Amino acid sequence: MATNQGTGEWYGTDEAVSRVRGQAFKTLCLGATLLALLAVFVLLLYVANDAFRPLSADIGWLLSFAATVVLPVLAAVGYYYTRDTKAGETATIALGLPVICLLLAGGVFITFEHIVSVYQWLSILVSLGIAAAIVAAHNRVRADADLERFAVIVGVPALLLWYVPDVILSLPVLPTQSLALLGSFAVPIALATGWFVRRQRESDRDGAIAAAVTIVGAAAGLGVAPVVGLSPFVWMLLVTITGVPVGLYVESVFRRGAGVSGLAFPVLVGGGILMGVVITNALGFTGPNPWLDWGFLTSSPSRTPEDAGFYPPLVGSVMMLLVIVVSAFPVGVGAAIYLEEYAPKRGLLGRVVDLIEVNIGNLAGVPSVVYGVLGLALFIRWGGLGSGTALVGGFTIGLLILPIVIISSQEAIRAVPDSMRQASYGMGATKWQTTRNVVLPEALPGIMTGNILAMGRAIGETAPLLIIGAPAVVRIAPASFTNKFSAMPRQIYTWSSEIDVAFRHGVLAAGVVTLLVVLLLMNGAAIIIRNKYQRRD
Amino acid sequence: MTHDSMTDSDSGTDTQATDGGRESLASNDLEGSDPTTEPLVDSSIDVDGRSDAPASADRTVIESNDLDVYYDDVQALQSIDIEIPAEKVTAIIGPSGCGKSTFLRCINRMNDLVDAARIDGELLFEGKNVYDDDVDPVVLRRKIGMVFQAPNPFPKSIYDNVAYGLEVQGIEGDYDEIVEEALRRAALWDEVKDQLDSSGLDLSGGQQQRLCIARAIAPDPDVILMDEPASALDPVATSKIEDLIEDLAEEYTVIIVTHNMQQAARISDKTAVFLTGGELVEFDDTNKIFENPEHDRVEDYITGKFG
Repeated sequence: MATNQGTGEWYGTDEAVSRVRGQAFKTLCLGATLLALLAVFVLLLYVANDAFRPLSADIGWLLSFAATVVLPVLAAVGYYYTRDTKAGETATIALGLPVICLLLAGGVFITFEHIVSVYQWLSILVSLGIAAAIVAAHNRVRADADLERFAVIVGVPALLLWYVPDVILSLPVLPTQSLALLGSFAVPIALATGWFVRRQRESDRDGAIAAAVTIVGAAAGLGVAPVVGLSPFVWMLLVTITGVPVGLYVESVFRRGAGVSGLAFPVLVGGGILMGVVITNALGFTGPNPWLDWGFLTSSPSRTPEDAGFYPPLVGSVMMLLVIVVSAFPVGVGAAIYLEEYAPKRGLLGRVVDLIEVNIGNLAGVPSVVYGVLGLALFIRWGGLGSGTALVGGFTIGLLILPIVIISSQEAIRAVPDSMRQASYGMGATKWQTTRNVVLPEALPGIMTGNILAMGRAIGETAPLLIIGAPAVVRIAPASFTNKFSAMPRQIYTWSSEIDVAFRHGVLAAGVVTLLVVLLLMNGAAIIIRNKYQRRD
Repeated sequence: MTHDSMTDSDSGTDTQATDGGRESLASNDLEGSDPTTEPLVDSSIDVDGRSDAPASADRTVIESNDLDVYYDDVQALQSIDIEIPAEKVTAIIGPSGCGKSTFLRCINRMNDLVDAARIDGELLFEGKNVYDDDVDPVVLRRKIGMVFQAPNPFPKSIYDNVAYGLEVQGIEGDYDEIVEEALRRAALWDEVKDQLDSSGLDLSGGQQQRLCIARAIAPDPDVILMDEPASALDPVATSKIEDLIEDLAEEYTVIIVTHNMQQAARISDKTAVFLTGGELVEFDDTNKIFENPEHDRVEDYITGKFG
């Protein structure tokens, strides 16, 4: 009998079945995993240590913060983990949401400060409003003229965006900046909040209350903000971008009544930090002297490491990303839709399409320095755009991530089950109706995830920026897309070749940590979107 | 009733009145003629007829002549000749791979979506070959609704699912009313009337399939094709769907593909038996097929000797 090996017992306590090879293989795989994680972790720890220099603090300072922040946090985490996992979830979001919202508010602040002034934004909104009214009117007057409507939908906004903003900006009287922001930013956000709450709670009253509270909160800044030492502008950004989401979240936790104790976590952290500050001040302990501090984020690069800042490259990176979002994403997503939904699948043309798809995959692997040369030739030499501008940088890196955008969007579209397309066709929908009403809404979360990950790739690219002539140091944040700009990795590269050791070991590490934090936030956003909209079945 | 467009003067009850309104909603027809008044082709198969069938039941709505279908080089259907009567339930049974789903998908040209499929012969809907060059498959599918094997609601709200056909077909009218009526006919209204805004995917499998039926009947097609609509459902949900199909046959022509012979016997008026190789072996009244089939192969299949 086959089972009668060894001692002849059927249940095989002896070495009847050898598992040595399997165990060895498992151990090797585990080792590979640990090695990879450890290598990355050590690198991050090393960089973070350089950026924050925690050991430059008094031992008393470290101990007091350990007592006021670290120990309570560990205790709370232990409690949440073992006793109340629901509250643990709440705690994570309650701490993370304000942090992310504050960073987002910073991004919006940079946008309004350097890229689109509040007045430009207002005039764009007004133009789009007029365009929407014209399109709606045309829709009503000539309901049957499909082709004409298409021309109107494309043409009118373009024309208005070209002419109207200049007219508005040249008006003799404009509202104050705060009023303009209130009307063009706080009111739309309040409307969106009201709409969201109304949909969530299915109550018109709750929606109206939410919208009203948002507007009142933002408008209060006109009077209150100077008292607390903020400009009304910053106050409004804080209220609309940070206050509203956090408020909605806290309210929803209380309403559902599950995991309310998790809300104590951010209070614990904030209170602990405050107490630590008070104690260390009272006892005279000096804190660490980190390279990465508020001054680093808000000042310009300098010749002395102590004064060196990261602000202009930060703005430059944001501008470059904006160019990419506007240029590469529509092209990439459009190409993906064509390749998945419309391109011929069979016959000679089908084979050509296959060849194209394979080569898009190849393009994704072309070294970035080659794309830099391509951008130099295409946009600067041939297109006549100025070298080293945010526009050229965005276009060049947009080209670089185009294959990634196409491939990830294609995958998202391919993941839409065919049964849904069939259901739509079976209802007598045309291909366009099916694509617009069924395929795209279903694929959108996947497309967005892929695009955000591609942005993560774009924000870290250095070589193309060197080739297209992004300057080594930019001391003033660029005022427009056609000014010379520098991006975060370009600035880090500059610091890496400074003679002064403090640049190479301190300032550079601070820049790297900033870049990594931005990158992690973007990837985190992509993961959240993916998890939230993942198909339930 | 204040509707001027109402033509049924004899409509006394509420349901009939609503039906009249629905007729006028979907009046932008493919052919222009009203199918209930002008029979285009006389049926010759239904000789003895069923006593409880309405008078118009003899009219043929779908007819195929020498229909062949190939997937690349494989022949899936072999010269099918069939005449399917209006406003009855016609069941198509047969073993796996006998081409019964293929035939169903030929009727509303869903096979156009399969690149490999090639069709020879004629398939007439209201006397017009649907494979003629001047037939727009999109318009054809608006006249012939379809319910698929696995419930496939869109990831939208229940309301939007039912209203989808109305939107894509550009049908005007009171959507709230049409959606409610469609859900009522699909025997789903009482279960979902308080949650029309929640996702269609939150329903159970049986409810999802009834939602798909409501979605198919909302734009008021002439024919409803069902491709094994109950094969993914439990017995309770299946019996609900079966009751529903019998109700639908009062107004629609229903063609249903099924694996389940008891189901075919229970709900259908006519039964077509396809056997392996894609041939239509026998097509007759359901009673005759199940009690006294002409072909031995059909009898073997029905009694479970093969397939």
